[in-house]
Amino acid sequence: MKPVSRLSIVSIAVGLVITACTGGGSSQSAATASSGASGSTAVADICTNPPRADGKTITFAASGGSYQAAEDKAWLQPYAKLTGIQFQESEVNAYPQIKAQVDAGQVNWDVVDVGNDFGTDIDAKYLEPIDYTKVHKDELLAGFANTYRVAAITYGTVLAYNTTKTNGQVPQSWADFFDTTKFPGKRGVWDYSTGGLFEIALMADGVAPKNLYPLDLARATKKLDTIKKDLVFWQSGAQSVDLLESGEVTMSMMWNNRAYAAKNADHKPVEIQWNGQILTSDYMVVPKGSPNKDLAMNFIAWLTCKENNGNLSNIIPNGPVNKFAKPDASRIPDLPTSHVDASTAYFDDVWLGQNAKLLDDTYAAWKTK
Amino acid sequence: MGRLRLALRFNGWALLVVPGLAFLSVFFLVPLAVIGLRSVTDVEGPSSGWLANYADFFGTDVYLRVLGNTFWIAALCTVICAGLGYPYAYLMTIVPQRFAGLLLIVVLVPFWSSPLVRTYAWQVLLRDTGVINGFLLKSGLISEPFPLIRTTFGVLLGMCQILLPLMVLPVYAVMRQVDPEYTKAAANLGAGPFTAFRRVFLPLSIPGLLAGSLLVFVVALGFYITPALLGSPQNTMISSLIANAIQQRADFGAGSALGVILLVVTLVVLIVASRLIRFRDVFGSLESEL
Repeated sequence: MKPVSRLSIVSIAVGLVITACTGGGSSQSAATASSGASGSTAVADICTNPPRADGKTITFAASGGSYQAAEDKAWLQPYAKLTGIQFQESEVNAYPQIKAQVDAGQVNWDVVDVGNDFGTDIDAKYLEPIDYTKVHKDELLAGFANTYRVAAITYGTVLAYNTTKTNGQVPQSWADFFDTTKFPGKRGVWDYSTGGLFEIALMADGVAPKNLYPLDLARATKKLDTIKKDLVFWQSGAQSVDLLESGEVTMSMMWNNRAYAAKNADHKPVEIQWNGQILTSDYMVVPKGSPNKDLAMNFIAWLTCKENNGNLSNIIPNGPVNKFAKPDASRIPDLPTSHVDASTAYFDDVWLGQNAKLLDDTYAAWKTK
Repeated sequence: MGRLRLALRFNGWALLVVPGLAFLSVFFLVPLAVIGLRSVTDVEGPSSGWLANYADFFGTDVYLRVLGNTFWIAALCTVICAGLGYPYAYLMTIVPQRFAGLLLIVVLVPFWSSPLVRTYAWQVLLRDTGVINGFLLKSGLISEPFPLIRTTFGVLLGMCQILLPLMVLPVYAVMRQVDPEYTKAAANLGAGPFTAFRRVFLPLSIPGLLAGSLLVFVVALGFYITPALLGSPQNTMISSLIANAIQQRADFGAGSALGVILLVVTLVVLIVASRLIRFRDVFGSLESEL
């Protein structure tokens, strides 16, 4: 943890310098005006002492399940206590609803937790730009704070395996995932064209994680054809857990928190191979025209602060996005951010967004052939 | 005078249809028109022009393949449901009344539970590590799991179980209309039981069979969760691509175009069917029963 604290001092120093230099700038003074404090303390304040909003209600939409329950406990409840604000929660975060609300000029959602396949500049006309006078971008993992969205957590799409089915052998990489001679049995994969299936096929075929994009779809589908008859497609995270626990599949492409639950909550012989994980995020966005935009930005800023961002990691093994967040030490080994190395891959969400239709069509064509 | 009063009374009752019509207009016809409109106005990507979404459909062989598969699966379901449902309904008409009630409940009870729950239950039964294969493997009858799940067989099993009531009920309704005296008369005239059934009862019950087939076929066209959970990748249905377009890509234009195409093709099938079936007979007989 030494290097981290040194980094944190450096970053605060840099932040102060920047503040000092731009103190008279218009964007900074806007923040100052709204929070009623000086520039540098405004940022510090929102983390520990966010502005009160008694009697106000904002709507928070996420995808439900254990993840939203954890968000509620880690962020919504403490923030409500600190500020007096009330949250109305929706367990549906469907992108078409965001578009429909904005198109109709009837925006009911203030903060929406979306997947990595939404909220890049392609969706600009549906979203408010994130207020980076409140959110400290410099403390967040590089690439996870964009114009219209900021990541809340990180998770890994990992290779998880049933140790009984592998007879105690450890699959080392996605290449082993595609090797049904060495590791007999079926393979679980997410039935979603932009969920990582093409990416793991390319990595198994020898493409370096940093060279994945633009995806060579012909090469990916050719590689996928080699194990197509052994693939079992899952539609939900719960289903991936069931497939792996029951031994219906030997290995599965899986979200790390689900694999963790299979092992630690259900006590099944499930392990994670972190090598080649695809590290990605759930993002917070504010639909364009949200009547509570400022309150929404305050909340987003607060939950990405180093003091608060790690709260969620103490409940479920999703990694923080703030580099200086401090989840409990006991949680560290299970967080995807603790296993980042040269083998780690990242989605190119912009490329995926620009090619969504092509990917979907290619996927359907390959799958139904 | 009497005739006028009758006409007025009729008109008064006819007003009851207004809420239904209003509901249908606001919540079905208008949205349907909007979908049709969006399929030509919401055009994403480089290809422009108001027919781009349709050009896309016919330009990519995957959509036609999936549409073809959708109709194939729906047709298979219809044939299987007819094969299972017709004898079942016939049995209901010949057993004593209280057994008929019991048989009806047996058909209806699964109808009241969620198709999703039943599909997951089929998974537990059918999969390689499931109940059936587990038993067969343990008893030594097989050494490798028998492919039950992720096959067309799995899809048909799961779908037919959900759809069977839609066949049994209309068939039973029509069969009960058939006067038992007719078959007795046929027997009096020297027909054996089989001939009496084939020449008299079967033709009279055909409208029910056609009505049931129509219901099963049309409802089956919209399935996608059950095929996704129990079928092979090749069993993908068109609704699954519609869901992808809307939910995953939020591409209303492409999704709407797919919906319109499915609707139009279904209507064409129904129009062709209406040439073969006299709908008035079918629904006339249903109306008196349901």
